[in-house]
Amino acid sequence: MDLHPRTPAHSQSDLEALIPDEAELTAGVVVRPGRSYGFFTDTTLCIGCKACEVACKEWNNLPAETPALTGHSYDNTGALSASTWRHVRFVEDDVRADSQSPFQSGWLMMSDVCKHCHNAPCLEACPTGALFRTEFDTVVVQQDICNGCGYCVPACPFGVVDISTLDGKAHKCTLCYDRLKGGLEPACAKSCPTDSIQFGEVSELQQRARERLDHLHHIGRGSAYLYGAPGELGATGGLEHLNAFFLLTAEPEAYNLPRAPTRPANRVVPSLAAGLTTLAGLMVTALALFARRS
Amino acid sequence: MPDTAQWDGRTYYGRAQLKPAPFNNALVGSYVFLAGLSGAAQVLATALDYAAISDAEPVVRHGRLLSLLAPIIGTVCLICDLHTPKRFYNMLRLVKTTSPMSLGSWALVAFSGASAISAAPLLVRAGWRQDSAVAGWLQGLSRVARIPAALAGGVLATYTASLFSATSAPLWAAGAKGLAVRFAAASVASAASALRLVARSGRRRRDLDSLAVAGLAIELGATLASDHAQQQAGVRQTPSSRDIAGVAVPLVLFLASDFLPRRAQAISQVAAAAALTGSLLMRIGVIKDGEQSAAQPNVSLRLAQPDNLPRR
Amino acid sequence: MKSIAGVVTIVQEGRFQLFDAAGVSHHFILHHGAAADPEQLPSLVNRHVRVSYRDSGAMIGHIATDLRAESN
Repeated sequence: MDLHPRTPAHSQSDLEALIPDEAELTAGVVVRPGRSYGFFTDTTLCIGCKACEVACKEWNNLPAETPALTGHSYDNTGALSASTWRHVRFVEDDVRADSQSPFQSGWLMMSDVCKHCHNAPCLEACPTGALFRTEFDTVVVQQDICNGCGYCVPACPFGVVDISTLDGKAHKCTLCYDRLKGGLEPACAKSCPTDSIQFGEVSELQQRARERLDHLHHIGRGSAYLYGAPGELGATGGLEHLNAFFLLTAEPEAYNLPRAPTRPANRVVPSLAAGLTTLAGLMVTALALFARRS
Repeated sequence: MPDTAQWDGRTYYGRAQLKPAPFNNALVGSYVFLAGLSGAAQVLATALDYAAISDAEPVVRHGRLLSLLAPIIGTVCLICDLHTPKRFYNMLRLVKTTSPMSLGSWALVAFSGASAISAAPLLVRAGWRQDSAVAGWLQGLSRVARIPAALAGGVLATYTASLFSATSAPLWAAGAKGLAVRFAAASVASAASALRLVARSGRRRRDLDSLAVAGLAIELGATLASDHAQQQAGVRQTPSSRDIAGVAVPLVLFLASDFLPRRAQAISQVAAAAALTGSLLMRIGVIKDGEQSAAQPNVSLRLAQPDNLPRR
Repeated sequence: MKSIAGVVTIVQEGRFQLFDAAGVSHHFILHHGAAADPEQLPSLVNRHVRVSYRDSGAMIGHIATDLRAESN
């Protein structure tokens, strides 16, 4: 069979060379194993262009959904799913009011993604070890191990992980694990035209986020707050902190985020103890009943 | 639709905040039911065996045989529920204490092996004379296996509640202890009911009826308590009439059989069948309600308010 | 069962792109019941492959149920 001239001459596996530490050029950070990487998504900079969604689908070779209109503002993506790992939310706040404030007017946009939690409930629930913590402190589903039990799906307090009934595996953002291994910035962050999505080392991003927050408060934007930084909303209930965290300006529920998510694994021991105690009590009762009539 | 209470603030166009568990409710519910029945039957058999209660031997024997239900049928249900069934063996790649599903997989494997060994003399009894060397050897093995079988059975009958509670689905996460007591008590009630249906001695049948009543009474109390906890957490508005009826009907029938001595046998047989049916339907219903509550953002956001977190 | 032949260009986990003789790119997701596993896909890059597939419904892509490398 002859190749059509339009067929790409190179696929990802036969590029001659990568630019060494390309992330240093694009994001100002060198990617090294053993350090902790994440996203700081500053929603005050988001313009809702969905470049992140497209870049994610392109790089990860994720199929597009058949186009449909939801009627929910400009959000026709709907939700994170097995084939959508970045999702731009559009919140309309009194956009039809007569007057609008110049800052963050009625339009709130937020690019949602897997939070790569410090104590990740999906990882703690996964019985096969398919979900694991990488050398970059991110949480990834290994496709060659996942058997599609689906337990990670209800475990996630953010509704991120999804099972594809087509290939029978769990899928979610990998924080571009393959790109990190090649020293590249994740596709969504690299494509973000306003730097609303910033990639870097988590401690440095947290520092940067606090400075940005101080600046916003200083110029009188008191509604801004961090979601998922240590000690803030979203980093509650034993989750410690989220490696992908956000700067928001409306209440978390407006963005479909839980105000105080909890770590489900904390409920394992109390539940087992209560169940086993009940069983033991009933067995003692059974012995008493049987002995009575002996 | 479960009668769930709602977060009264704003949501994101009413879109789901969580993803419902992608379980096949009939398959998983059947497994949970069988795991409870088999696990509790094995624990009861071993307890009666060790207590050396006279003429309880038929109950012990039936208990060992019933304990084979979960390994044989339940395991098939679980594998069929996987979205990539051919990789079922990956469940045994590691042990994870934060994952009830991992602990449960190991408990099921241990239970299957130990139960099969403990029941082996019963299964091959027809083929060998009681005093043959093989029969004696099997008897010895069976005696060694019954303690691990009972320990694994105890876990099998109870871990399923923690499997559901250790998620973010609101109706599973709120009232974790109540759900655990319900599942454990329902397991004992269903094991007693099943043993009662196959028992031949009238005296032991009455003991098993009493045990089923004790189990159902505790389950009823726990159902009311966990409904109350869910109402306190604001994720449920009214008690679940379906779950209460599923426990109350067999309970009333069992008690009625005490007062109608002439029909006692027939009534308590119906009661035992009702208890088994109720236990299976309760498991399927709890799974369905949990999944539906996860799809309702005003319920899941309610349980994520700082003053209203799921209590451990 | 529909099938199509072409050259595999991009592989990510259980997903791959296939360019047919007309230079049209097709997107495939490997079905969980397919004989091949995701970890075998990278070895098919740049090779001529015949894919048996069915449509996926809500996705712009197909479900690959069988893969066969053809001689180059």
